[in-house]
Amino acid sequence: MNNNRNRTPSVSPAAVVVAAIFLLVSVVGINWFTSFVPAVLPPQASAESKSVDELFYVLVIIGGIVFFLIQGMLLISVIFFRAKSGDPSDGPAYHGNALLEIVWTIIPAGVVVFLAVLSFNVWMQNTEPKAMVNLIDGDEVKINVSGARYAWTHSYQTGRIDPDGEQIVINSGDRLHTYIGQHIELELRTQDVIHSYWVPAMRVKQDLLPGNPATGGRPTEIRFTPVRVEGETYPAAYPIVCAELCGDGHGRMTGEVVVYEDENQFLQAFYEPAIDAILNPPADPVLRGEIVIQQYICNSCHTLDSLGWTSRTGPSLNGIADRAGERVPGQSAEEYIVQSVWNTQAFVVPGYTEQMPAFGPDQTDANAMNAEQLYAITAFLCTQGEQSDCDSENQTTAIPAAIKTAFGLEVDITFGQGDGASTDSSEAPDED
Amino acid sequence: MATIAVPIGTQAEQREAEAVRRPALSEYLRWSVDHKIIGVQYGISSFLFFLVGGAMAMGIRLELLTPGLDLMVSGSAYNSLFTMHGTVMIFLFIIPMWAAFGNFVVPLQLGAKDMAFPWLNAFAFWLIPPAAIIILMGYFVTPAEAGWTAYPPLSTLFSGDGQTLWALGAHLLGISSIMGSINFIVTILNMRPEGMTLWRMPLLCWAVLATSIIAVMATPFLAGALTLLLLDRVAGTTFFDAAGGGDVLLWQNIFWFYSHPAVYIMVLPGMGVLSEVLSIHSRKPVFGYRMVGLSSMGIAFVGFTVWAHHMFTSLQPELRIPFMITTMIIAVPTGIKMFSWLGTIWGGKIRFTSAMLFALGFLSMFVIGGITGVMLAALPFDIHVHDTYFVVSHFHFVLFGGSVFAIYAALYHWFPKVTGRMMNERLGRIHFVFTYFGFLFTFFPMHIVGMLGMPRRVAVYDPAFTQWNQLIGIAAFVLGFSTFIVVYNVIHSYFRGPVAGANPWRALTLEWATTSPPPVTNFIDDPIPYEDPYGYGTEAATAYLDAVDETFRNGAPASSR
Amino acid sequence: MSNGISHGQKAKPRDQQSAALRLKNNRLGMNIFQVSWIMVFFALIVVNWQLRFSYAQWPPVGVTPFEPLLPSLATLALLGSSFFAQRGLAAFRSAEIKDFALCWRLTMTLGIVFMALIAREFAMVSAAALATQYGVTMRLMTGFHIVHALVIVGIMLAVYRRAGAGAYRGGEAAGWAVEGAAKLWHFVTVAWMLFYLVLYWLR
Repeated sequence: MNNNRNRTPSVSPAAVVVAAIFLLVSVVGINWFTSFVPAVLPPQASAESKSVDELFYVLVIIGGIVFFLIQGMLLISVIFFRAKSGDPSDGPAYHGNALLEIVWTIIPAGVVVFLAVLSFNVWMQNTEPKAMVNLIDGDEVKINVSGARYAWTHSYQTGRIDPDGEQIVINSGDRLHTYIGQHIELELRTQDVIHSYWVPAMRVKQDLLPGNPATGGRPTEIRFTPVRVEGETYPAAYPIVCAELCGDGHGRMTGEVVVYEDENQFLQAFYEPAIDAILNPPADPVLRGEIVIQQYICNSCHTLDSLGWTSRTGPSLNGIADRAGERVPGQSAEEYIVQSVWNTQAFVVPGYTEQMPAFGPDQTDANAMNAEQLYAITAFLCTQGEQSDCDSENQTTAIPAAIKTAFGLEVDITFGQGDGASTDSSEAPDED
Repeated sequence: MATIAVPIGTQAEQREAEAVRRPALSEYLRWSVDHKIIGVQYGISSFLFFLVGGAMAMGIRLELLTPGLDLMVSGSAYNSLFTMHGTVMIFLFIIPMWAAFGNFVVPLQLGAKDMAFPWLNAFAFWLIPPAAIIILMGYFVTPAEAGWTAYPPLSTLFSGDGQTLWALGAHLLGISSIMGSINFIVTILNMRPEGMTLWRMPLLCWAVLATSIIAVMATPFLAGALTLLLLDRVAGTTFFDAAGGGDVLLWQNIFWFYSHPAVYIMVLPGMGVLSEVLSIHSRKPVFGYRMVGLSSMGIAFVGFTVWAHHMFTSLQPELRIPFMITTMIIAVPTGIKMFSWLGTIWGGKIRFTSAMLFALGFLSMFVIGGITGVMLAALPFDIHVHDTYFVVSHFHFVLFGGSVFAIYAALYHWFPKVTGRMMNERLGRIHFVFTYFGFLFTFFPMHIVGMLGMPRRVAVYDPAFTQWNQLIGIAAFVLGFSTFIVVYNVIHSYFRGPVAGANPWRALTLEWATTSPPPVTNFIDDPIPYEDPYGYGTEAATAYLDAVDETFRNGAPASSR
Repeated sequence: MSNGISHGQKAKPRDQQSAALRLKNNRLGMNIFQVSWIMVFFALIVVNWQLRFSYAQWPPVGVTPFEPLLPSLATLALLGSSFFAQRGLAAFRSAEIKDFALCWRLTMTLGIVFMALIAREFAMVSAAALATQYGVTMRLMTGFHIVHALVIVGIMLAVYRRAGAGAYRGGEAAGWAVEGAAKLWHFVTVAWMLFYLVLYWLR
């Protein structure tokens, strides 16, 4: 192969000029590219997002150089090295250049090493465990995230206790509440398949992995620290997205990170009212039910106009009270609703599949629900309809009777009389 | 300098060659052990699956024109649509399509009469139709809807019978791929003609060799993974069920140990095609031949060490770093190829044939896939874009901008050899323009929606991304339309295309030193390869090519004169 | 070396290859197949290994470890059978058909002894072990292996009977079936040695 003439292909002066122009274009072009970087990324709402974006910036610059170099050489080739029409001859028998080949092996290798070191540094910096995480009112509060098809549930294991001496747990549904500067550390658990907890504005993502429930599951962690975004009004909300295919409603499995300006705003707007609502729930079971039902993941599958729910995986709850009495022969409206929440597989509405998870005192985490909560939810659902089938005159006896019939549990209807002295009031599972 | 060898024997034998006719179309529907028939069988069936998978892609884009559910009755229907799209495109289109070109071209380039194991070759092909039927039969039960990656427990505890069929079908396709690859390796290593050392072998053969090595080493892991999945689904084992002591990451490990190298199974042959097409159509030797050949092997080797970058969001954090480093290293051999190709066309005399246009299109699109590949290897950035449209965009730049562009280049380049007719160049150019811009505007914006926060595999999305998705959708329909141009071109040219002659591109590799299409035994006599498969630009090469032309002056198929 | 094969009336595609080339192809093809298919066994070893991390200890609490005595005897039987397979091949090559037949019978007998012992192990896995991946992966691996052993003993039997009837005479190329069967049996042995090590010794 070496006995061929190693004739360097001739390059016309015009090509040199074009190359120079192209160099200019690429410098301008890379500048232009990088000016777009903020526009193609979500707001930088966490400390981590800044270093990730800086890394991306470097990647865009290096990628831009490669891009313009290769496209430029390609363009020069197709313009200057096209065969003249009617020229049947071959190009020069030029087989290669060892020096050039070494150069284009060594330089990319060097660039790769540089990027690896840079990425490594950013990674170590972003994943370094922080002291004093989830600091609320001086306490380190544990925040659990549960992923279930197709909803997120956040729960704050607060340091407060209720009058019965039980820990108060705030269930904030698909919203994570935090404030600027709080080092967030979430413990993620899935109840079914793999999900992935992604907050684009924070540039963090972590899969939730199914583990053995007998050994406490397989918790994974995610950490970030919200920071101030210029021009943002607080409290600000950033989407949470499920990034790992989890089934039918994967695209709808969303939530929000609500960032407050400071701890004070966080405490006043979210934390204290939430604790107060647990300690002093409204006396009216219907009003209480409206709060309680929103602490569960019902909205991920059902439509209910009065609460703004739009999902279509499960049957609509609009006008549920009008139909509840006729669904199953021999069941009253109350009995039907009570059964549909706790014993979900007993009756599946025609046209739907058995996807609904069971709720109840035996369930763990986000699906735990005591009899008092069921009572309140049923009372609320009984108001969803034009002419309710429920016996609304006697809701304080009819619903507890239905719960007693179906599950043999007594309901403490004095719960939530506003005196804060009644039974267990949190979302924590019953002792039995 | 070697003497100019006339590649083919006497005039008397030549007359025999003139009598060569194209195989009757019915021969393609029957069992045949002729590698050329099998190659076309692979090619036609793969292309049909390309149309099926493409129609599914159109369905996906139609659904995504609006942020809500509209075309589909449920998210599950959408999930099964993209699951089938991925499965069909990977297992039934790209991988067998390379088996098509490998089958037809490799033995010819080696001057061999057939593959090493002709019967095995046919058997490997005939596993594909039943496998395809099994997979698509899922639509009559509950189709697989866990994505082509089929992560448990979604694919075990939460999926219907279609998932079982999916696994069975994929199993058959894996076995077909192993058998085909053993055949390629033996053929390439054992059946080269005298004088053709490994270092004088056409680069397509190098690429097919590297691909086949990957396939025989990696595909058994797919077989293992699918076996476990089937056992979990039908036999009650709990390999992937944590409640029974199983581990969901076990699937991801074994699956990606196959499926990452599978990316190279899909793109390396394309790189081989590129070396051929760029050199021949710019009339210049491949720049740095040895490094191009070796880099195929380098990619194959390093490709086995990077699988866990698909698990950056699920793997234990401390294990992620080593896989970031190995993944970045892959950029080096890939870069060598890119620069060598540029060196090949630089200073050449480029002829803008359709094949060349698609090869140049590969260069300009694949580089974007390469750049985003390095970006995705950078762990902190990957955490942000993992499982988003950024990734969808990246792998389409590799598999469409890479593999499919190379498949089109190969089609325009070898169609004359397969059928004896030239394809219509004008239609080819139109096809290229529609494909290039349709592709660019379909997939480039996906980077941006991904970075902005749109995850992949969703039927409903944040309405903020509607306009991006509509742009992508419209471009995708243009891309989809472009396929009809090439379908028309192939059918039209098969019947009405101008007669090609033996060596329309004046190429030095051996497949052009026989009639188009070649006779059943490929060559009348044992052909003598030119000393350098890409030795363009020397008087000796010109003399060799003139000799080939002279030999086959009247050697076109009798049916076409 | 035989200098050719008898052509039938209808030329089959492989008849276009010379006998020497066919033998070369068969040997290389067999080697590649072995290297390829052993990867499935490696995949199952990965399964066994990764699932160990689901448990605090291995074997899991409350599960008695497998007794290695019988499997070790089985392994010895298998090694012996592989040895006789190789001797049988050598005897066949030097046209000592009687020796070949004896060795081949010994190979198959020892192979069946091996399978019987392993089948017993397979059947005797305790319920406690089967409730964990310790027992299940053992059954997966031994079961997968024994299927291969069965099929290949079947191939050996077929080769034995055809060889007894006088087939495969006339040089190395014609005797490929014997060589191939012996190589497949070695594959069974190598695959088992890997499993044996992982199942009974690497804890």
